[in-house]
Amino acid sequence: MDILRFTTAGSVDDGKSTLTGRLLYDTGNIKSDILETISGDEGLNLAHVTDGLRAEREQKITIDVAYKYFSTSHRKFIITDAPGHFEYTRNLVTGASNVDVMIILIDAQNGITAQTRRHSMVASFLKLGKVVVAINKMDLSDYSQDVYERIKEEYLQIAAKLDLHNITFIPISALQGDNVITLSPKTPWYIGPALLELLETYKPPMHQYAGLRLCLQYRIDDNTFAGKILSGTLHSGDKILIHPSGQAATIGNIIHNYDNVEVAHAGDNISITLQEGIILKRGDIISHARDIPLTSDSFDADLCWMDSSSALDLQKTYILRINTAETECIVSDLKFKVDIDTLEKYSDKEPLTANQFARVGISMQKALAWDHTATLPENGRGILVDPVTNNTVGAFVILQA
Amino acid sequence: MNYLDILEAEAIYIFREVAGQFKRPVLLFSGGKDSTVLIHLALKAFYPAPLPFPVMHIDTGHNFPEALRFRNALVEKINAQLIVRKVEDTIREKNLPDPQGKFPSRNALQSYTLMDAIREFGFDACIGGGRRDEEKARAKERIFSFRDPSGAWQPHNQRPELWDLYNGRIREGENVRAFPISNWTELDIWQYIKREHIALPSIYFAHKRDCIVFQGRWVAVSEYVTPDINDEVVNTTVRYRTVGDMTCTAAIESQAQTVDDIIAEIEASPISERGATRIDDQISDAAMEDRKLKGYF
Repeated sequence: MDILRFTTAGSVDDGKSTLTGRLLYDTGNIKSDILETISGDEGLNLAHVTDGLRAEREQKITIDVAYKYFSTSHRKFIITDAPGHFEYTRNLVTGASNVDVMIILIDAQNGITAQTRRHSMVASFLKLGKVVVAINKMDLSDYSQDVYERIKEEYLQIAAKLDLHNITFIPISALQGDNVITLSPKTPWYIGPALLELLETYKPPMHQYAGLRLCLQYRIDDNTFAGKILSGTLHSGDKILIHPSGQAATIGNIIHNYDNVEVAHAGDNISITLQEGIILKRGDIISHARDIPLTSDSFDADLCWMDSSSALDLQKTYILRINTAETECIVSDLKFKVDIDTLEKYSDKEPLTANQFARVGISMQKALAWDHTATLPENGRGILVDPVTNNTVGAFVILQA
Repeated sequence: MNYLDILEAEAIYIFREVAGQFKRPVLLFSGGKDSTVLIHLALKAFYPAPLPFPVMHIDTGHNFPEALRFRNALVEKINAQLIVRKVEDTIREKNLPDPQGKFPSRNALQSYTLMDAIREFGFDACIGGGRRDEEKARAKERIFSFRDPSGAWQPHNQRPELWDLYNGRIREGENVRAFPISNWTELDIWQYIKREHIALPSIYFAHKRDCIVFQGRWVAVSEYVTPDINDEVVNTTVRYRTVGDMTCTAAIESQAQTVDDIIAEIEASPISERGATRIDDQISDAAMEDRKLKGYF
């Protein structure tokens, strides 16, 4: 059994929390004492399951990400319940950064809104592998195929603009449970899976890249260094290169858990020694000589600004981080912004503020080793940290050197 | 990858991030199942070296003796440095009122003792066994949870935390609470205990105990909990699903003798972990959030 991580994007009005509650409830994953706390005068309030903060329950909105866990006989699931409101887009970005699937909820009565476009923008920015467009409240639209088809057509135009490809549309009623766990007789015209069936069977693209990338985290003792294999396979005795310095070395021991192993694979957290006794450091990336990462001290990237207390300052030095590698940087060039309501590019004199997206050029104080997002997303993205407040202020995905 | 391997890999990565980013981390260890699993994961993360940080117990003085014995034995076995700081000392030094009554919980007072210990040793990161599926405020917390110098969590202004990039940068006096097993459920913990043959205090398994009934839950009679004249003391077969203070942790009726029995029992149980066992969270809908605002784990 494996784990699938997914998020639901949409506002309370779209039935996002109700859908989460429905999935948990109908799969028997809400215990009776929790059920008691969400039962009120108007029956079961499934939305209340996920609103963990007092202010959220009072204001009836989701402010920050909540994580919920459930399982079926096929799979374990981690639900990232993320906020829908504009000012909390940055929390949606946080929540969606680790998911395999984003479910975008659209209220069938309202159709596509600015919010739908914004959430799709987040999916596009994060290069998510799968988007499910759940057209909700079909019960209030007489389960009309026309309504469904019209929204689907309109959404496909947005998807094309955002380069979103792997999309499944499902007509649902989170409140009534139609097409959530099982297919509903009320939508005989719908050919496709129920939402849960899709979530149980979807296979995320994993570890496709064959080239070795070992990212170093920590020096365990004099000669032993801990790190995670991002991609590829490492054998004891392999000739390797250390980036960004380019220094050559030979792998000695590979330790996985308590064992010395001959070979380790993508996803393994290992420790290694080098035969030459070279000292590795946090932030180094190890590869084979035949397929090395790119190394540069500048690149173009898509940037999401996440700090609500300061705007992007083109004169200011930030700390940039990719995996465990850090360096100082400046965002030297703001090429254009993307209007998250229209998805059009534009430029103005205003600085980039919280929840806005832009194409930028970044210049680093020293070169780092990275990969194209299409090759190895794990080594093609990072964060910016404000050196004064220490807050994480931006997230970026690299496009090209 | 099997889900336990995924969760284990995530936890080990987080442990190494804590060690790589902080000067003076500490692992919070109570002898309970979650922090025992934490120790097991930490040993794997840093093998062949010993743990690169001490373990600390914030001792309320209301412990189960079985948990304390287990704590001492495990720490000795793995040769770790154990720091114990007592809530009793904090009460005396700060002249705080010691909670009275039939179930005198020092749970909330632990925050003072914890913050004093953080300042005393200069700890910049506290690694805890908190899990998001335990409780709804915990479900909201980041894996690296930033705390200001008073230890307070700011739920409305949490740092963005993308991918597996954990930002551990802090200023002097601030600290981070790191939660490597954030994404584990109660069942995951037990499946892992089974797979890895992890030993636990005996009170997690069915045993005979003198109990009284409080709000529909079994509470053990002990030197901290004295029955009233109206209480009926019953010697019954119970086990503990969580191990906290004797004054605020309830036992559940159970015949589960083995880890397999426990897994079967949890799968069939209609009640959540904290719902079954915690008296302190029944006070209000936001009890955990309130404690975290004051520096709690």
